[in-house]
Amino acid sequence: MTRTHRSRLWLSSASLGLFMLSSSGIAAPVAPHYPSSIGKGEGQLNIIAWEGYAQPEWVKPFEKETGCRVNAKYAGSSDEMVALMRQGGGSQYDLVSASGDASLRLIYGGIVQPVNVKLIPDYENFLPELQSPPNNTINGIHYGISYEWGPNVLLYNTDKVSPEPTSWAAIYSEQYKGRITVPDNPIQIADAALYLMAHKPELGIKDPYELTRKQLDAAVALLKKQRPLIKKYWALASDEIELFKNGDVVIGAAWPYQTNALKAAGTPVADTVPEEGATGWSDTWMLSAKAKHPNCAYKWMRYASTPMVQAQQAIYFGETPANKKACSVMNKLEPGSCQKYHLDAPASYFDKIKFWKTPRKQCSDGRNNCTSISQWQQAWQSVMQ
Amino acid sequence: MALDKALPLGEPQQSPLRSLAIAVWRRPALGASALLAGPMGWLVLIYLAALATLFISAFWSVNDFTGEIVHSWTLDNFRQLVESSVYPHIALRTIGIAFAVTLTDIVLAFPLAYFMARIARPKLRAALFAMVLLPLWSSYLARVYAWRLILSHDGVLNWFLLELGLPRAHIGYTNWAMWIVFSYIWLPFMVMPIYAAIERIPGSFLEASQDLGGRGLRTLRKVILPLAMPGVIAGSIFTFSLTLGDYITPVLVGGPGSNFIGNVVFSNVGIANNIPFAAAFATVPLVVMAIYLFIARRLGAFEMM
Amino acid sequence: MTSNPNLESPAEDTVKSLDKAPVLVRLSQIHKHYKGTTAVEHVDLDIRQGEFFTFLGPSGSGKTTTLRMIAGFEKPDRGHITINGADITRLPPFERDVNTVFQDYALFPHMTVADNVAYGLQAKRVAKRDIPDRVAEALRMVRLDSFADRLPSQLSGGQRQRVALARAIVNHPQVLLLDEPLGALDLKLRQQMQVELQRIQREVGITFIYVTHDQEEALVMSDRIAVFANGRIEQMGTPVELYERPATEFVANFLGTSNVLQRHGKKWLVRPERIRINPTKPVLDMQSYHVESGVLREVEFIGMFTRYIVTLSDGSTLLIHEQNLDGFTVREQVRREESVWVSWSLASAYELPA
Repeated sequence: MTRTHRSRLWLSSASLGLFMLSSSGIAAPVAPHYPSSIGKGEGQLNIIAWEGYAQPEWVKPFEKETGCRVNAKYAGSSDEMVALMRQGGGSQYDLVSASGDASLRLIYGGIVQPVNVKLIPDYENFLPELQSPPNNTINGIHYGISYEWGPNVLLYNTDKVSPEPTSWAAIYSEQYKGRITVPDNPIQIADAALYLMAHKPELGIKDPYELTRKQLDAAVALLKKQRPLIKKYWALASDEIELFKNGDVVIGAAWPYQTNALKAAGTPVADTVPEEGATGWSDTWMLSAKAKHPNCAYKWMRYASTPMVQAQQAIYFGETPANKKACSVMNKLEPGSCQKYHLDAPASYFDKIKFWKTPRKQCSDGRNNCTSISQWQQAWQSVMQ
Repeated sequence: MALDKALPLGEPQQSPLRSLAIAVWRRPALGASALLAGPMGWLVLIYLAALATLFISAFWSVNDFTGEIVHSWTLDNFRQLVESSVYPHIALRTIGIAFAVTLTDIVLAFPLAYFMARIARPKLRAALFAMVLLPLWSSYLARVYAWRLILSHDGVLNWFLLELGLPRAHIGYTNWAMWIVFSYIWLPFMVMPIYAAIERIPGSFLEASQDLGGRGLRTLRKVILPLAMPGVIAGSIFTFSLTLGDYITPVLVGGPGSNFIGNVVFSNVGIANNIPFAAAFATVPLVVMAIYLFIARRLGAFEMM
Repeated sequence: MTSNPNLESPAEDTVKSLDKAPVLVRLSQIHKHYKGTTAVEHVDLDIRQGEFFTFLGPSGSGKTTTLRMIAGFEKPDRGHITINGADITRLPPFERDVNTVFQDYALFPHMTVADNVAYGLQAKRVAKRDIPDRVAEALRMVRLDSFADRLPSQLSGGQRQRVALARAIVNHPQVLLLDEPLGALDLKLRQQMQVELQRIQREVGITFIYVTHDQEEALVMSDRIAVFANGRIEQMGTPVELYERPATEFVANFLGTSNVLQRHGKKWLVRPERIRINPTKPVLDMQSYHVESGVLREVEFIGMFTRYIVTLSDGSTLLIHEQNLDGFTVREQVRREESVWVSWSLASAYELPA
């Protein structure tokens, strides 16, 4: 090959690279252009959801009613959801069940578009806290419809752990050394921050997702101290289920979903929200800025907000609906479940939960000294090693 | 005459296929380029372009919040790699385990390959082949999960140890577990090239060594080992690079402090959407492999191939 | 040693002195079977100190298997092998004081010529400081002194052959085994190496056991030859004995070509070069000559001689070699499909043992 050949090749592959990368970065939030009504369905709907969010019990009737065939892709983490939504220029999927730590990234990444809540009748019946929550509503513009929410719980083996733990200290102390599991997820830093809020008030943490460098360092120090106690950082819910089943761990941070699955499998477990409170999730159905099937998507958001679907989903996963009217349906499906998941008295319970949101450089008080998700990511890397 | 009609050598028929065939015969380079056009095009476009893209993007950065890539040249990614206490540590762990796995596989594969190539009768050899290759028929994930079941707290290994009245082994979710699992899953990639290399050594070489007074150990050290070296090197390139680039096994069987370069790359692409940093870290295994191949070449590993 | 070894017959002048040489290698009642087939059976052999002994036979006759049993690469099922009276039947190859030159030379491709030659010395733990001198001496003997640092792949076939030889003789073994060592060389080189091998054998005085399927090679080089067929030794003796007094038709035909004729219920052997051909009946002493007529079937000019094929009255076919001397030749006086006369001296006909 001659010299010119070589340099031309270099240039062409370089420009190809530039093209590939530049297409993945999109600018700021998408401006609203609402439909005034829901039109005829496009016959198909592609969604990204948490595992257990597209069960046939409620997907089948939807397909029958609307003629929109649902293709669901399960994602294992918020990060995977964001990555999937970016895929193929953002037109591959119509909807995503984004949690609070993904929603702002999707909004500010220009990946999702505002939603007209007037087209969702049950919106009126939502808990007031979930009508315009900061994780999906910016300057009064709704970038999605709230769905379900719940706390990250302290899961433990009832045979091996007694008495019932009442504090997150159980996973930061030597008592269960080598038999503890927590998620492999940078947002886990917020759990440490929540613990420090209660036990080290002098740090002045007000919001576990808004940490100054110093506060972040304190949380990381706690997590580094925790690392030798950990048996395994779990990446998938099924991993944690297996760890408990096989006796590798006896206590850890979990979702109620794992509790339900382990109980169903006969493993002696229970979960609790300790005295410090808990981090948690609040999910939102968000509409892709380049959705190919917007009518089916609106039909889904309307359908998923109805008391029946909200109740079915809540009982299946072990979480709490956004729609207050789901309470009676829940009790019909599983007596006492409305109370079990705190939908009857939500306000106090709601306050106990610090919902996931994306850490940003700009704190909510306007100052610019908070730490960003990428700093959290690097901090988490230094914990994980 | 009839013979002339049967062999119309005087006036060739002008079919395009025929003239093409003749042109290729006259200029062998033409044939070679036709042969290589496809694979070379693939190699250049897909492979080299991807590598170039990776390398270039390593010098960019990413907007913290929106995830947009900032196309301005910076060495920050590399500075962060070098200055952080975490990343060199992870790189060293990755390389160290890849090295240990490679050594282990050489030690395990060599006697097995030797037995298969030189001692086993055809039937036994076929059976051993099947056993070595059988794991490759099942999914990589299934095999790693199987090891997880074996090594877990209430797993097969500990059940066995308890049956024997021994204490439990705490191997599950540690670097030891990774070492074992990697050594297991990449073993076929070491056995096959060593087998091929040993099988190619003429039997008379071994007889000559014995004839000249060489006992087993000398024959092994001076004749078999040097001649099997290309196979060992080929196998070690497989096991080393496969381990170096893996990120699934650390997630599945590793414990706290088991992250590999691949895990950091994966989480930077997936979680932080920081492709430039991922690209910068991904150049580390690339450079390590380049050094590895360079040393192998200097040792003359490719001369006997 | 003479200046031109080509001119003298080694068989003639060394055999006498070897007659009294002590037995070095003895094979007694060696049997070897491979899964249902017999490779070697009833092999008894005495090879004397300093002898150039050849195993001659077609492929599959058991000659190589016998050699490999002496080297230790195969174990006989029955029988014993002794060297200098010591039983080595169960000794591994590396404990035997024999060395082998392999058919494919088996030079180690990753070692230089010098390293190849030094291999045996190192294995036998010869003092390090002596090794270079002995290697150089061996290479000088095979005239490859200037090739010490080459790799085998950089040598020609004949050179590799000589390295293989040097690698064996450098160890001064009691017996050197050569397994068709010249088989891969072309004719010219082969003849050159035959001379070379004889010279080297005489120089080092080591007993050679040489395996070949080439009868001419066997005749030229050997003190004694054992002819193998179907796993047995058909006949053993000096080249002259084997050629002049073959014990069987097989030996007669394997060493040179022969005419075997049935006369008076017995088998007679006449070598083609001992028969004369005439267009007319020759006038000869009938007491000492046999004369007979036949029909000439073929005349072939071979170069050094002319070959005639004649059918005799009893239907048997006779092969005749007539040396092409200057001047007179029968070739121009005879025609195909016409009658000719053949004759040979009665002393030239040899009665095959029954």
